[in-house]
Amino acid sequence: MANPMIPRERADYSAIVDRPPLKLPGGARIVFWTIVNYEVWDIGKPMARQLLPAPTGVPLMPDVVHWAFHEYGMRVGCWRFFELFKRLGIRPTLAANARICEDYPRVAGQARDDGWEFMGHAYEQGPIHKEPDQAGMIMRTMDIMERFTGKRPAGWLGPGLTQTLETPDLLAAAGVKYIGDWVYDDEPTVIRTTKGPLVTLPYTIECNDIPVMIIQHHNSDYLLQLVKDQFDRLYAESDKRAKFCTLAIHPYISGQPHRIKYLEAIYDYVNEHEGVLHWNGAQILDWYLPIANAQTKAAE
Amino acid sequence: MNFPKPSVGMLPNDRLDYSAIVNRKPLKLPKGARMAVWTVTNVEEWDPTQTMPRTVLTPPAGGSPMPDIPNWCWHEYGNRVGFWRLLQVYDDFKIPGVMNINGSAVEAFPDLVKACVERNWEFVGHGFTQRNMQKVENEREDIRKSAQVLERVTGKRPRGWLGPGLTETWETPDILVEEGYDYVADWVLDDQPVWLKTRGKPILNMPYTQECNDVAMMLIQHHKASEFYERAMDQFEQIYKDAKGSARVMAISVHPYIMGAPHRAKYFRKIFEKIRKKRDVLFWTGAQIADWFVKTGPKPPQ
Repeated sequence: MANPMIPRERADYSAIVDRPPLKLPGGARIVFWTIVNYEVWDIGKPMARQLLPAPTGVPLMPDVVHWAFHEYGMRVGCWRFFELFKRLGIRPTLAANARICEDYPRVAGQARDDGWEFMGHAYEQGPIHKEPDQAGMIMRTMDIMERFTGKRPAGWLGPGLTQTLETPDLLAAAGVKYIGDWVYDDEPTVIRTTKGPLVTLPYTIECNDIPVMIIQHHNSDYLLQLVKDQFDRLYAESDKRAKFCTLAIHPYISGQPHRIKYLEAIYDYVNEHEGVLHWNGAQILDWYLPIANAQTKAAE
Repeated sequence: MNFPKPSVGMLPNDRLDYSAIVNRKPLKLPKGARMAVWTVTNVEEWDPTQTMPRTVLTPPAGGSPMPDIPNWCWHEYGNRVGFWRLLQVYDDFKIPGVMNINGSAVEAFPDLVKACVERNWEFVGHGFTQRNMQKVENEREDIRKSAQVLERVTGKRPRGWLGPGLTETWETPDILVEEGYDYVADWVLDDQPVWLKTRGKPILNMPYTQECNDVAMMLIQHHKASEFYERAMDQFEQIYKDAKGSARVMAISVHPYIMGAPHRAKYFRKIFEKIRKKRDVLFWTGAQIADWFVKTGPKPPQ
């Protein structure tokens, strides 16, 4: 097999100021894209994130405290999310390990019944580099979700956004239409794979409660301030071109009692503005695909 | 104290003597200005096949698996989108730009370089790639190639140099002067330019900053975005006060992928809203500061 493409071979450098502006329907200015992440942390493996350092500094297995920290999100925190989004009439994207359909059918079923968009997010939580059979894992993830929801997911997000160089090729082969792993632009883009074009949607590792709370250790209210600042700037820029403000949340972080009110306040703030669409990834893709196809045709 | 000397190059104190800023002959800027501010934008190209120089997101369960696409993309965002937000600030406030740029980035991001050539920015050599200078195979070749590509693309040889991550070997200042650079900004040891001895003629060191720098504040210390503005203002007010009798220099250093993010850009803009109006503050490039210091400052050591 030939060497897989490096990122620059998949996408040429392009300055946003050199592109024609994208326009949203009905005079809308900005899409607010919410991604909820539901995961499975296998007690037999190292836990994905640590909040409390082990007494001697060396994490030992089993790591029950962090298993429980995550489990709280699935038992309690996620129900705060379901309640919030039902009240607001928002159907977010659910980036979920496929294993939640097996381990947490109650949670996965609620997301399905509430009309959330299921996005492939690996079978369970761990860097994709460690998968012995990545192609098989991707196919299995997509198949499980398709069986559970009746619809093959359009989108994919690697756990922790991880990819190997061949991942986009394997995803396109499994029927994935868009990925969130490439946080390199404010707009959707099209990248090259060996199986044809693949769309990237502007996901975020900045407006994301993992870096803000777990890595950078900000106060609980900072997610609100950060998203306000992010939204204000993008909203101001959206007078000229369509913009996308993305927020990624985890039930074991933003679903905590001391943080949930700041998450709710984000939506109160955003909804004070005119021209905001609460679209999930599949909705953004449906709008963007004809535009991308027309651009490809024009370039040919 | 006598420290063991390296076989090639010099120890820092062999390049310059200790000197207390209060005991020096006063420096005077033109037209009664008290201080000069130079604002430096760092443009890098990250090699997707190497470990990323910095990360915003760690992978689940830790480690650093390769390739690291999310953090590569996070950086690439700066050059596709973030840079253009910073450029608007420089344009709106008429700030003469200084760009530290990796040699390889000069050709990777042509639109960005073109926009700055049109605005007559100063380009500063910043390593051919974003790699620690101690790990570069041939330091002289790297320094030379960085100058050559800048001369070819921008039409001018760079006069200044900043090592990637401010890294140096014991020999870096010697090589820089031999390769025709006029100043280096790696030594964050003063509020005024200083002369460094080399095995040839001396080289100027420009006051740069690891403190008013978004890498340190946002990525290492994990402050809120607003800290960038607050710290820059605190730094400015103190240096302004200190510069009453003798001129001082303040540096501000930003990276498009950090301060160019939507949620941070306004805190960068706010700095210039506050300080650009001051009549006795000069907004200069590194080269302008170097020219002034060579003309009016102490003579280089023999």
